[in-house]
This record gives sequence, C-alpha cells and structure tokens, in this order.
Amino acid sequence: MSSPALQLEDVHKEYVRGSERIEVLRGLDLRVRDGEFLGLMGPSGSGKSTLLNLIAGLDRPTSGRVIVGDEVVSEMDEAEIARWRSAHVGFVFQFYHLIPVLTAFENVELPLLLFNMPASRRRQQVHTTLELVGLSHRVDHRPGQLSGGEQQRVGIARALVTDPTLIVADEPTGDLDGHTSEEILDLLEALQASLRKTIVLVTHDPRAARRVHRLVRLEKGVLLEGSDDALAEAVPGWPMN
Amino acid sequence: MYKLAFLVAKNLGRNKIRTALTASAVVVLVMIYTVVSTITSTISDAMAAHSSETRLLVRGRWMVRAGFPRRFVPRITNLPGVLDWTVWNFYGGALDESGQEDRTAAGIATRVENLREMHPGLEDLDPAVIDALRRERTGMLVGQKLMKTMRWNVGQRFTFISATHPGQNLEFKVVGILPEGDYSGMCIFRDDYYEEGTGDKERVRIVWLRVADPAAGNRIASQLEAMYASGDTPLQVETESATANRVLSEHQSIVAIIRFIAAILLIDMAIVLSNSINIATQERRIEMGVLKVLGFAPAHVAFLVVGEAMLIGALSGLVGAGLTYAYSQVNDWEGWPYKIQFLSDLRIQSDVVPWGFVYGALIGLAGSVIPAWNARRIRVADVFSRVA
Repeated sequence: MSSPALQLEDVHKEYVRGSERIEVLRGLDLRVRDGEFLGLMGPSGSGKSTLLNLIAGLDRPTSGRVIVGDEVVSEMDEAEIARWRSAHVGFVFQFYHLIPVLTAFENVELPLLLFNMPASRRRQQVHTTLELVGLSHRVDHRPGQLSGGEQQRVGIARALVTDPTLIVADEPTGDLDGHTSEEILDLLEALQASLRKTIVLVTHDPRAARRVHRLVRLEKGVLLEGSDDALAEAVPGWPMN
Repeated sequence: MYKLAFLVAKNLGRNKIRTALTASAVVVLVMIYTVVSTITSTISDAMAAHSSETRLLVRGRWMVRAGFPRRFVPRITNLPGVLDWTVWNFYGGALDESGQEDRTAAGIATRVENLREMHPGLEDLDPAVIDALRRERTGMLVGQKLMKTMRWNVGQRFTFISATHPGQNLEFKVVGILPEGDYSGMCIFRDDYYEEGTGDKERVRIVWLRVADPAAGNRIASQLEAMYASGDTPLQVETESATANRVLSEHQSIVAIIRFIAAILLIDMAIVLSNSINIATQERRIEMGVLKVLGFAPAHVAFLVVGEAMLIGALSGLVGAGLTYAYSQVNDWEGWPYKIQFLSDLRIQSDVVPWGFVYGALIGLAGSVIPAWNARRIRVADVFSRVA
C-alpha cells in the first residue's frame, strides 16, 4: 500500500477570543491516499475552512500533526512553510482571488516567479497549463475581462502550474452558476484523472460532492466518515454508482 | 526578488488617481526641497570657497564703507610675512537706465597685477583678459550672468550709472567675462581708474593680504590691530575664514530655520508616501494573503510594498528635481515673462536631478517601513476567515 499523500494525527485547533476559548477542531484523524479525490462537507461553522488552512499550511494546529507526503507541515517555521507551500500545494479559491492588474498569463506565472527557472521554461509551463484548462486563447486578458468560469479556470491553472503534490479547493463552484459549476467540476475531475493529483475539495454543492472518490463530513469539529447513511443524508443521489 | 519588480510597476497603475495625486504631492515637495536645500548648499559652498586661513582681510573697525586712509597701505603691505596684496573699492549701480533689478551690479575696483592670484575663483581667468584690462584703462570684466542679461559682447561700451557715487557715472568698455560662480553677477575694474574717475584717492575700503601660513596670519593680524588701535581709524584684521564664519554666525538662526524647513519637507514627503502606501496595503490585504498562499514569503510581500513606495518616491523625486532644474535654466532666459528673481541668485546644478531620484527612493523606503511591516505580518488565515 502506498504512503498517504496527506495525514492528520489527532489535530486540535482552538481560538481564543477575549476570555473565551473556542475549540474548532477536536482531535481529527484523516488519511488521504496519493491521487485520491477527497470531498469535505459540513455546515457553516463546522471548521471546514480551518481544516483546509491547516492542510495547506496556512495555519497551525493547537496540537497534533499535519503530514503531507513525508513532511510534517505543522512543525515548519514560516519561511520553510512558504517555500514548501510554493512547491507542494495548489490552492483554488471560491472567489478566484486573481490579481486584477495582471493578465491571465501573468496570474498563472506568479507562483513560478518564486522558482529559479529560465524565463523560456517558465513561459512554456504557463502556456501548457493554460492550454490544459482550455484558456490558451485568453492569455492576455485581465480578470475583469473574463467570465466567472474563465476566472476560476485561471485560478485552477495557477494552482496546477507548479505541479504540486496536493490541490486544495475551497468551494471552487460556490460563486458560479449551475452550468459553469459543472464545467469546472468536469475540469477538476479530468485533471485529477489525467494528472493523478491528490485533491481535497471543500464544498456545499451536492454536484461537487458526487464527483469525489470519498466524502467526509465535518460536524462540530469532528470528522464523520464512511457511513453511507450519513453521506446519503448529506448528498442526494449518493453513492453515484 | 527582481522578478517581482514587474508586479511593483503594475501596482502603480491600479489606482491611477491616487498614484497621480501622491506623486504630484511628492513632486511639489521635492521642488520646494530642492530650492530650500540649494540655499543651504549655496551658503556651504560659499563658506568652503572662503575658508582660507592665509588670506587676511583688513578693514576699518567701525564701518567698511568708510574705509581707511590709503596712506596706510604701504605700511600694511610691507610688513614681514606679507607675500602679496590687493585693494578693494566698491562701485555699484545700474548697467543701463531701464531701472530693472537684474540690470544692477556691484563693481569692485582692484589691482590688475595680481588679479588671478588674489581672487579665489579667478585662478583660471585667461591671461589675455588680464592683458586687455591692463591695456584698457576703462576696461571692465563683467560677470557671465550680467553679460547674458544685458546681451552684451566683449567690446561693449556703456555708462555705469552709479548708486554708490551719485553723479559720478563712469564710462566702461567690456574687455572680458568673469566666470560662473561668485563673480557671475559682479564687475571688476582697475583701481587707478576708480581713483581717477571718482576722485576718491585718499581712502580704500578693504586690503587683502596673502600670507605664508595661518601662524603668520595670526601674528600679522595682531600686529596690525595693535599698530592702529590708538589712531583715528582703528583697523580690524581677520582671516577670510573668520570673516566667513562671522557672517554665517550673524545669520545662523536663518540658516537653522532653512535647515529645519528642509527636514520638515523630507518628513512630510515620507508621511505622504506612507499614508498612500498604507491605504493601498489595507486595500490589498486579501491579495497579499493570496500571495502568501501561493508561497510568497513575508519578505516578498514586504518587498512589494517597499518597492512600490520607492518607485513612486524615486520617479517623483526625479521629476520634481528635474522640473526645478529645468525651470532654473528657463528662468535665466532673457525676456522670460515669469522670472523668479531669487531663483537666479541660487545656483541649482544639474546634479540635483539624480539626487532627487535617490532622495525620493530613500524617502519612499522610510515611508514604507510601517506599511511593509504590517503587510509582512498579515496572517493568511485571518484574511480568509474575514472573506468567508
């Protein structure tokens, strides 16, 4: 059996607001296989975004360990984690978060600027990735000149361009209409199948949840996994096959 | 890091109005700063040019204008240790009858023999010009600025309308041009012609002595003051450097105020830039969070903030100093209708332009310290929890 791409070991996360201590995640354990497409659902305030931040190394657990590949992310310092993240994690946002003054090409190129690579290779890699998401004809357009779906494709290309181990997508269809959502999900599914990327997808969208290999639910800071009944309750039509 | 420079440049175009207003404010401040700092640098340069310890100035103790008897001169200049000497008498007024302020000049009547040796700044004067002055009794050397204002050429004859010696207007012929610098607004002519023309044969205003070393200077100064202390016309003798320091100390508070204004202008520029960059940083918190998600280290984010402030500062500094220099050149044009007289008296050099660039960049650096510090400390989780 291959080693997990992502592993959480007894992860706790607490926030302190004034004199109040809020426990958001309560001893999570999770293993995600290499090349797995994992869905994460849960009601608002259940801790999904917090969990995603921990997985992507954007925040630290109060206790427990987050391991991606062979690296214990939760024990890295800020500079190490920035370097690690640039090489190993691609992040897809709900609201795309593209830089408005940059073209699609420049937005996708941005993460590669942190790498020591020749400009010609960098350009080639950006073009290839934009082609992969079907946007090779929109390279010189700025985000304001692109539709929501196209902006999300740029966002996905930006996440993919460094060829990361793990892609973390936070409600990538949350700001899109039904048809465009399906297109984006088709793209993510196709990319996952062809590139064998490990994807962790946070979603409220049942359509998105139906595309994943495995679905886990987060409720009140605790992961619920494996119960088809529980999942069927959350996702109409589950299981798909 | 340099690869991120394009992002810095692009960021300037985000809010064009704010960028333009910030840059305009800095340009105006740099222009004022350039003029104000040129005043102090002009004073410093003048001090440096007149800091000799081996040139002694001899004058009447109570009033320079009244001078002292010319019969003192042989005794003064024959003292042991005096290597060379010259005299000065003053003759000021208008170069024509227009009454325009820029057509007035101060004239110095002095000896021709050692004109170059006894006048700092004239060491490189063409010997042919000295010869011409020696040959032409009514000859005059006229400062370059005056020549330009009067649109004169060498050979020009004119009547100097004297304000210092009313009714004693002298005829002159321009035989040479004094170089840029201390003498560009002055005229120099022969002391013997002054004596003859004005009839002022009995008195001199200033005698300059050149001595071997500072020790000799101090000795001669004490000796001369002692020699004439009990007479009708006591003398004051001091080194050129002491004279310059005395003049400066008399105006010390004005110089201090000018320097204070210059410092305030620099601080003001830093505040303007800091304010603008801080607003931009606040507006881009999410974007900076995104950059951190993409793997940008805190130093990268800080670089973007600092780079943007330095770029605005440097470009504004370049433009501000460039405009000031350009205007100072245009201001000297004959017939320019918007002439600023005091600007003509300042020597704004072309090197203010690169210095404007450098100062602007440094001000940008200073102004961006706090915004950059805040930007590098942005916590990604906080930014996105607010978005969600």
